[in-house]
Amino acid sequence: MSNNADGLADLHWMFDMLHHIDVGLVVLDSSYQVQLWNSFMENHSGVSSSIAKEQSLLALYPELDTGWLRQKLDNVFGLKTPIFVSWEQRPFLFPFKSYRPITGIADKMYQNVAIRPLSSPDGSIKQVCLVVYDVTDVATNKMALSAANHKLQRLSQALSR
Amino acid sequence: MSTRVLICDDSKLARKQLARVLPADWDVEVEFAEDGQDALDILSSSAFDLLFLDLNMPVKDGYETLEALQSFEQAPAVIVVSGDVQPKAIQRVKDMGAIAFHKKPASSEELRSLLLSLGLMTDGDDKESKPTIAAPTAAEQFTLNDCLQEVSNIAMGRAASVLAEMLNVFIKLPVPTVNILEVGELQMALDYSVKDDSCSAVSQGFVGSGIAFETLLIFSDSSFSDMAKLLGVTEEITRELETELLMDVSSILVGPFMAAIGKQLNIDFSHSHPMLLGQHVKIADLINVKKATWKRTLAVEIVYEVENYQISCDLMLLFTEDSVPTLENLLSFLVEEDE
Repeated sequence: MSNNADGLADLHWMFDMLHHIDVGLVVLDSSYQVQLWNSFMENHSGVSSSIAKEQSLLALYPELDTGWLRQKLDNVFGLKTPIFVSWEQRPFLFPFKSYRPITGIADKMYQNVAIRPLSSPDGSIKQVCLVVYDVTDVATNKMALSAANHKLQRLSQALSR
Repeated sequence: MSTRVLICDDSKLARKQLARVLPADWDVEVEFAEDGQDALDILSSSAFDLLFLDLNMPVKDGYETLEALQSFEQAPAVIVVSGDVQPKAIQRVKDMGAIAFHKKPASSEELRSLLLSLGLMTDGDDKESKPTIAAPTAAEQFTLNDCLQEVSNIAMGRAASVLAEMLNVFIKLPVPTVNILEVGELQMALDYSVKDDSCSAVSQGFVGSGIAFETLLIFSDSSFSDMAKLLGVTEEITRELETELLMDVSSILVGPFMAAIGKQLNIDFSHSHPMLLGQHVKIADLINVKKATWKRTLAVEIVYEVENYQISCDLMLLFTEDSVPTLENLLSFLVEEDE
C-alpha cells in the first residue's frame, strides 16, 4: 500500500517536472493526435492542454507545412530514430512570440525541434515526442555576428582596392 | 453605539476589499481616508475607535502616521493592514503603537478572528447581518492601473520579505507606479530612476494565458560593494562574483514576486532563464530603441532600497501591448470576487 503511495508521489513530481520544464513537450500517437501538451506549449501557444489533447496536431495548426511535417513524423515512426530540425533550416515550427518581447531583438521565437520515437513496453513505437527548444538568443547572436563579419569583409575589400 | 472605523489606504481597491470583509454582524460606521495625512485630518476633527492603516502610501506613509498619532490625545486603536510582510516591518509598527498587524489581502474569517481576539467585537448571538457598507455606486469603477498597482503592491511585499530574510535587513518599499510607456519614454523613465552612471541588468521573460511580459531588474553599480558585505563575501569582487550576486538577488526578488502575481491572477506562468542584459553599461544602452519591435508597453515600476546601505534596485514589469486586454479582463474578475 505504502509502495503504491510512493509510486503515486513519484508520478506526481515527475509529471510536475515535465509540465513545468522550460522546453516544449508534445507527445503524438501514430495518427498525430496530441497525447501530451505541457505548460510551455500551453503558455506560448495560448491553447490549453485540455483543448489540444485528442486533436490532431495538423488540425490544431493548419498553417504548419503539413506535407513536410508528416514526412518527418512518419520517418521517426518508421525508422525508429530521432530526427532534428534546426532553426537554421526552418526558423520555427510553432509560431510563438519571443520570450523577451521588450528587450529582445527578435519578435518570433526561433526553435530547434527534436522528434524522438517513444517505445512502448513491447518495444514497438506507438508514440513520438516533439521537444521544442527556444534558441532565439543563439539565433539572434549568430545572425548579428555574421552580419558584422560581412560588414568587416566588405570594409577590408574596399580598403584593399 | 456603533464602533467608528476609519480605513486608510491609497488604493481604492484595497479600501473596498477591506470594507467588504469586515464582519457583517459587527455594528460599525466606516469612513475612508486616502493617505496618512488625510487620515490625520479626519481623526483630528472627530474621534474614531479603530484605524485600519496601510504602510506604503504617498504624502504620508503608515509609519509617519503612526508617529503623528502618538501625540494625539484620543488616538484610535490601530491595526496595520499591509502587503509589506517583512518581520522587521511588523515589529516596527508594533513598537510604534499598532495593536496588531494583518497581511493583505485579509479574508473575512481571518479578520473576524483577529477582531474577536483583540476584544474589539464580541461574538454576539444575533448574527443578523447589518449591511453597513453601501453598495458600490456606478461611479466606483476600478481602472486597470488601480488593480495592477494593488496586485503589484502585494507581490512586492512578499518579495521584499524573502530578500529581507536572506540579508537580515529592512527593505524600504515604495508605492509601485503603473504607466503606459512608449519606447523613448521607457528609456527616460529608466534614466530618471537609476541615478548612477553605470548599471547592470537582468531580464527574464514570462508568458501564460495570453499575457506576456518581461521583468527587468536594474542595479546601480555602486550597490555591489554593500551587497557583497551583506552576503558575507570577503574575497575581492570580480566580474564573475558580481554576476553571481546579480543572479542571486534577481532570483530572490523576481521569483517570489512572480509567484505572488501568478497566485493572484491564477496563472501558472512559464518563465525563461534569466538573461544578463548588460554589466557596467549606460542605462540608455539597455534598450535598443532603433531595433525595438514594440511601440508601447504597460510598465509597473518598483524601486527597492535597503535601509542603511547603499543598495537600490529598480524592478520593472513590462507587459506587451497585446496582453493588456487579457490582463484587464483577469483583473476585473479579481474585483468581482470580493463581492
